Amino acid sequence: MARPNPADLELFRRGIMARLTMVDSGYGPSTVLVGVEFEARLGEVSLVTGPAAAGKTTFMHLLRLALPIHAGRAVILGEDVARASPKMRALVKRRIGYVAENPVFIEHWTAFENIAMPLQLAGKRSTDYSEDVRELVEFVGLGEAADLAIAKLSGAERRRAAIARALAGKPDLILADDPTAGMSPADGRRIVRLLAEMRRVNAGVVIASQDETLADCAPLNHWRMDRGRLSLVSEEAEHADLEAFE
Amino acid sequence: MKRAGAGVERALFWALALAAFAAAAAGLLSRAIDRVAANYDIGRSAYAIVRVIAPEGHDGVARAAAILQSAPHVDSAAPMTAGRAAALLGMEASADIPALRLIEIELVQSPPGADVAGDIIAALAQGGVTAEVVGAPDDSGGAGLGGRIRNLAFWGAIGFGLIMALIVSFSARGLAGRRREMVTVMTDLGATGAQAAGRVADEAAMLGLFAGAAGCALAGALGVVAILLTTPEASPEALPRLIRPLDLAPLAAVTLGSAIAAGIGARTAALSFHERAAKIG
Repeated sequence: MARPNPADLELFRRGIMARLTMVDSGYGPSTVLVGVEFEARLGEVSLVTGPAAAGKTTFMHLLRLALPIHAGRAVILGEDVARASPKMRALVKRRIGYVAENPVFIEHWTAFENIAMPLQLAGKRSTDYSEDVRELVEFVGLGEAADLAIAKLSGAERRRAAIARALAGKPDLILADDPTAGMSPADGRRIVRLLAEMRRVNAGVVIASQDETLADCAPLNHWRMDRGRLSLVSEEAEHADLEAFE
Repeated sequence: MKRAGAGVERALFWALALAAFAAAAAGLLSRAIDRVAANYDIGRSAYAIVRVIAPEGHDGVARAAAILQSAPHVDSAAPMTAGRAAALLGMEASADIPALRLIEIELVQSPPGADVAGDIIAALAQGGVTAEVVGAPDDSGGAGLGGRIRNLAFWGAIGFGLIMALIVSFSARGLAGRRREMVTVMTDLGATGAQAAGRVADEAAMLGLFAGAAGCALAGALGVVAILLTTPEASPEALPRLIRPLDLAPLAAVTLGSAIAAGIGARTAALSFHERAAKIG
């Protein structure tokens, strides 16, 4: 197993959750992302917007270590992604909370059991985590639906369950791919605010969405993806306060 | 936790149980062949025929029979009657059979390497009788047939068991396929290949263990019925005496083997699912 580079670990200690430098990436031999320069910091929210098929989901796959890097350098949570062993990648993934565009669950398990899975993987016993999971369930507004089999939940409820599961392991980096898809504008904004709240609990947050209007619902760094190229639109105002947006 | 697709899993359970049943039945059959062959070997090595060459006539046979009663390796000796010869040859008892100069002898268990025929001929020669021994145990002329049959039965059962293990293993991959979403979810949440595959393999191994036990129970029950129907002295009370602990070895081996084969099959499949889920590009 390759040893972590001290300089990469230092990046993480300085609160840089992800730093991509001139990264090309894609599926197999085809390159989707070109020359991506990106940084996600602790306590900050990054919103990546762009039209359909611009490369937002590919970008999220890259950040969650599911894609190979064709060129450039990506350091995520203190690990150089290209050099990391499969086991190290798995360990880094465990510190990432990911809300997929179409979340995958174990359909015959209850929402509660699905949400608790990261904690099970961490070796915790149900008696130790059940109270925390209940709190999360209330936090995302899932309520009593948490005790139903996930297959019986509506699309919005599944998304809330996915968010709760992503937060359950107290991740350092939270990735949400189009978390407002299929929701009313008001519900969508509520979800984004909820995710943005996570910056207060020692995490960096990256949200990908087609909806440009989400940029004004929380203090965040706004990036735009277009045909695989990423550019910074606006940076979060210094000392911006989330409450001012509510 | 509610289990989805219980019907499919029940079908898989019985598929595994059927394979385990076949393997266990082959194992029990191998044990039966082994015991019959061993008995045949014992019977064959405990019997021989002495042909008296000189002196001729009834006196020669009577003297030889008397000497044989105290000869080395001989338990008992009896001149062969015409009726006995006819029975052995499958002829009518009234058939015209010439006077025989044959003596049937029962042999005691001799140490390996003993020259049984030579010792008997020497004892007869000391008493003034010239004779030859037909069918005394040695390493030629068909001796060791029982051993070869026993080997064939053993390795045949092992080979058949391995084929059944392969079937169990491939069937268990089906279970891993049904758990693919779990492997994907675990992979997304940062489970290593060993963690994700281990969970599925544990489940498959338990299924294999129970299916193996069910298959072996059926094969065992069938074996008991076969013993009761085919062994003259068999009765429910005599079964503990008739069945040796070694006869149960195939059942234990198949039960354990089913669990291992199912676990390995499911683990291999789950690892490949994990690899695909971990790297989508």
